Formats: sequence, C-alpha cells, structure tokens
Amino acid sequence: MAVHDDSNGQKKKSSDALDEIPTFNVENMQNNTRIINYSRTFMSIIGGVIAGILGYTALTGFIFYFVIMAITTVGLAAKTGFAVHSFFDSWNQIVFDGILGGLLSFVLFWTFAYDMVHIF
Amino acid sequence: MAEDLVLDTAIRDWVLIPLSVVMVLIGVLRYFVSKLMRSDQVPDLKIVKEGQVIIRARNLRAAANFIPAKSFRARKHYYSNEENGLLHVPKGQAQNPQAQMFSDPNMAMDMMKKNLSMIIPQTLTFAWVNFFFSGFVAAKIPFPLTQRFRAMLQNGIDLSTVDVSYVSSRSWYFLNLFGLRGLFSLILGEDNATDDTQRMMQMGGFGFDPTRSLGAEKDSLDIVQHDWALPKFEQRAESVLKKLVQK
Repeated sequence: MAVHDDSNGQKKKSSDALDEIPTFNVENMQNNTRIINYSRTFMSIIGGVIAGILGYTALTGFIFYFVIMAITTVGLAAKTGFAVHSFFDSWNQIVFDGILGGLLSFVLFWTFAYDMVHIF
Repeated sequence: MAEDLVLDTAIRDWVLIPLSVVMVLIGVLRYFVSKLMRSDQVPDLKIVKEGQVIIRARNLRAAANFIPAKSFRARKHYYSNEENGLLHVPKGQAQNPQAQMFSDPNMAMDMMKKNLSMIIPQTLTFAWVNFFFSGFVAAKIPFPLTQRFRAMLQNGIDLSTVDVSYVSSRSWYFLNLFGLRGLFSLILGEDNATDDTQRMMQMGGFGFDPTRSLGAEKDSLDIVQHDWALPKFEQRAESVLKKLVQK
C-alpha cells in the first residue's frame, strides 16, 4: 500500500525569503492547508476501504488508520522538500491537521467495506 | 467474538447502499439548491462603506511593518483621529445599526431560508430511515463497544444478547452523516453548504454589527507596534542588482 496520491496540485511558497522577519502570504497558506485536508480525507477514505477489505477489526483497524496518517504526513513533508517552515506555519499543522475529521470518514468506509466483504 | 451472525444479503443491497447513495445525492442536491436560492440582496451603501473601511484598516495593520514609521503614523492618525477619523463613531449612533439589522426583512428571510435548507432534508431523511428501516440489524461495526452504547446504537432491536457491534440502520444513518462530510469536501470543493456542524458553530458568531467592529478595529490599530522590517533594504536591493548585472 504505497500509493500516495498528492492530489490537487501544487503547494505554493508562503513565506518570503527575508532573513530578518518571516512574513506569510495568507492566500498561499490557505491553499496549502486546503491541500493537506484534501490529501488526508482522500487517504482516510482509501485506507478505510482497505482496512475493511482486509478484515481488520478493533484495535488493528485504528492502528492502521494512524499508520495511514503517518504515511500521509511523510508524503506531505516530502512534497515540501522537507523544508516545512517555508510552506506552513509550524510542524503541528502538517502532522495533526485533519486527523479527527479523517477518522470519521475512515470509520464509515471501514464499516462499509467490512460489511460488504465479510458479512455477506 | 461470541457468535457470528450471518445477515441476509438483501439487507446489503436494499438498506446500506441505498441509504448511502440517498445521502450523497441529497447533499449534492442541497448544494445546488442553496446556490440557486441565493437571492440578490441589494447591499446597503452605508454598510458596504464601513466594511471597506474596516478592510483597509486591517490591511494597514497587517502590512504595518513594510512602510516607514512616519507614513504608518500618518495613516494611523487618519483612521483613529478623534474628530474626523474614519473609525471613530460618536456614541449616539451606536445602537442603530443593530436594530436596523434585525428588522431588516431581507436578512431575516435569508437566514431562515438557509436554516431551513439545512434542517429539512436531514429531518426528512431521518424520518424516512426510522419508518422504513427499523427493527432489524443493519450492519456490523468492526470494533467493539461497551454495553452502554447498546441503547444508542441498537434501538430497533429488542434482543439484549446480540453483540453491540451489530447496529441498527439509525446508527448507519448517523455514521453516514458524519463520514460523508469529508467526501463532500472532496467532490463539491470548499465552501459547500453541506457542512452542517460547521454552520451551526458559525451561527453563534453571527451579527454583523458595523459599529462594534469599527470600535474593535480602532482599538487593535492603536495597539500595533511598528517594527520596521526592511532596515537594510537598500543594501539588499543593491546586492541583488549586482548579482543580476554580473550574470
């Protein structure tokens, strides 16, 4: 399961190259945040379907969800060339943003796929 | 797992899938309906002017560090000057805009229309689910829950020995309700009207009161410290130009 989908285009540089005081371009930052959300939602849906098909239950499934989120984080960081600070406000944003919202979608699609495949 | 219930295939075909499909379609429908129903509200000139002044003041605050200190002070004085500063409103006018807003029929109608278009499809779908799809086990959620969730998740099923993982269709409805928000943000793009809970959170902060925001803007403008961000700018420009010329 190594298919990342960095959907929806480019991130834009949101901080200036000023050495003295970092400034942020708000519109680009919003664009970047939106991209994070899209990526996480998409990955949690795909992850939910996969978890259901593979028949993970209970704890294994949740651990799988966090593994998927970690893969997404690494993917996003790689896309920024590991220079996270020039694209985002802080590390926290790229790591924690959208995890809880994605959890609900994950559970929905997990339940759906699990039922389709196993409880037929 | 104590027992492993085998559920009828027909439940899959006729309950789970139609319910999900219906909810997705209703969400898409609501999005388009809310787009169509957006009435053309002629904005009040005074309110627009005040809104633009606020935006200008906010821009000044945000970019304060890029203009020299003297020009920043001049602009600040223009806005928060006591006699004729743009942001300074005499006390007598404080209450009027608020009263005007609430008795303004257009705005009230708009709010009501938005509320209704949110709540009605949800209520209808919920009633439909309850009427048609109650009284049987609909799905199995892949993780176990404690006994206390039984009342919430299994309300149509009267057997108390069935595992709590086997839920009724009402809980499938709620699961869909929350889980499809993410899907809607993907297929409808941002700023869609289907995100109910977000709207409900915004309702509390509604109430565009220009006078109050003018006062708040004035206060925050007073607070801003000017920190000249480009002190060595001429040197930097010189080095950049030099590099360009040398290439």
